[in-house]
Amino acid sequence: MNCQEFREGIAEEEANAGLLRHAGRCEACAAVLDRRGRLRAGLRTLAAELRRTEAPARVEVGLVAAFRSQQWQARRAQRRQWWIPALSWAAAAGVPMVVALFLLRPHQPLPAHRTAPGAVEAASVTDVPDPYSAEGGDGFIALPNARGLDPNEEVNMVRVEVPRSAMLEVGLAVSADRVSELVEADVVLGPDGLARAIRFVDEPMM
Amino acid sequence: MKITPPETDDELFVRLRGGEESAFVQLYRRRQGAIYRFVLHMSRSPAVAEDVTQEVFVALLREGCGYDPDRGTLSGYLFGIARKLLLRQVERGRVDVPLESGSEDAAIPELAVAGNALEDLTNREGIEALRRAIGTLPRRYREVVVLCDLEEVDYADTAAMLGCPIGTVRSRLHRARALLLDKLNHERRPRPTVSALSPIRCLT
Repeated sequence: MNCQEFREGIAEEEANAGLLRHAGRCEACAAVLDRRGRLRAGLRTLAAELRRTEAPARVEVGLVAAFRSQQWQARRAQRRQWWIPALSWAAAAGVPMVVALFLLRPHQPLPAHRTAPGAVEAASVTDVPDPYSAEGGDGFIALPNARGLDPNEEVNMVRVEVPRSAMLEVGLAVSADRVSELVEADVVLGPDGLARAIRFVDEPMM
Repeated sequence: MKITPPETDDELFVRLRGGEESAFVQLYRRRQGAIYRFVLHMSRSPAVAEDVTQEVFVALLREGCGYDPDRGTLSGYLFGIARKLLLRQVERGRVDVPLESGSEDAAIPELAVAGNALEDLTNREGIEALRRAIGTLPRRYREVVVLCDLEEVDYADTAAMLGCPIGTVRSRLHRARALLLDKLNHERRPRPTVSALSPIRCLT
């Protein structure tokens, strides 16, 4: 190995046997090796001394707080994520139930068709009188051939205008000259939407 | 008594990902010093070193932090982030020390100059001189000295961090050491000043 090879070798590698052998024979290269060794020793000493230099404690405190905050948020997100499918399933199960209830509940009666000019004023009422007594105290008269109502059956009542001739159907007397007149009547509808009873408003029962 | 070996960085990282605070604290205590010192050497600013150290570990906490054990060690990954953050600080002007000077092709000072026997660098004076000399190195040389010589990061990790081949790390280190020796030599044996070179008389 010559001096040139020594310099190339020392740039690439740590001191190896070949370099050391050449340095043993060449004073200049031995000086290079010596300076390099001293520098390395100095760097090692400096590194050892610097080992004591660390980030201030407040950095760790801040980071641990950040870690805890992140974990808390992750747990919260996880809990939220647990509820999302649960709510989805609940909603999925609930929607058909709501639809079923909607379909099964008594239908709101359609407004009565106009039976005569200026005829209909329909209203759904919640407080429905007891229509079971055909000639009950509420003035309701059971319609002929209508099915009877069970005591707990839900009913609706609508107010309509009908021809006075309708009174004849339930056995009420109507003078011939007034047959075409319109009269107001409350009609009780069963849960199937069919009329069950009728009461003529402001009309004396005859 | 059975002695269990300390957990590796990767094992701690897995536990950290599982939400274990103790793993994070252990990992931080193991690696913070080197990161802090690296940035301190490069920036010469304790405030910047503190900020960057904090940001490095905050980055590690992020879900998609990007650490891949197949691409290098966790230590190398942390140094890599620190280096990028440091460069960002330079761009923002928080580091007013010129980090970049000199070129790769600049002439390498001779490692040995006749009659330049280097004095002991392990005593107080020598260490201080060495510290000053490192601080004046151009960035590319300073970082390899700090990483490889002071923090004992291996060449492969350093190369991965700097995004260059291992051969480049070796050659930069060689050049950096030569520059250090040159600086130390000049510090102890200052070059003659201009006044010392002033002519005694004019011959023309």
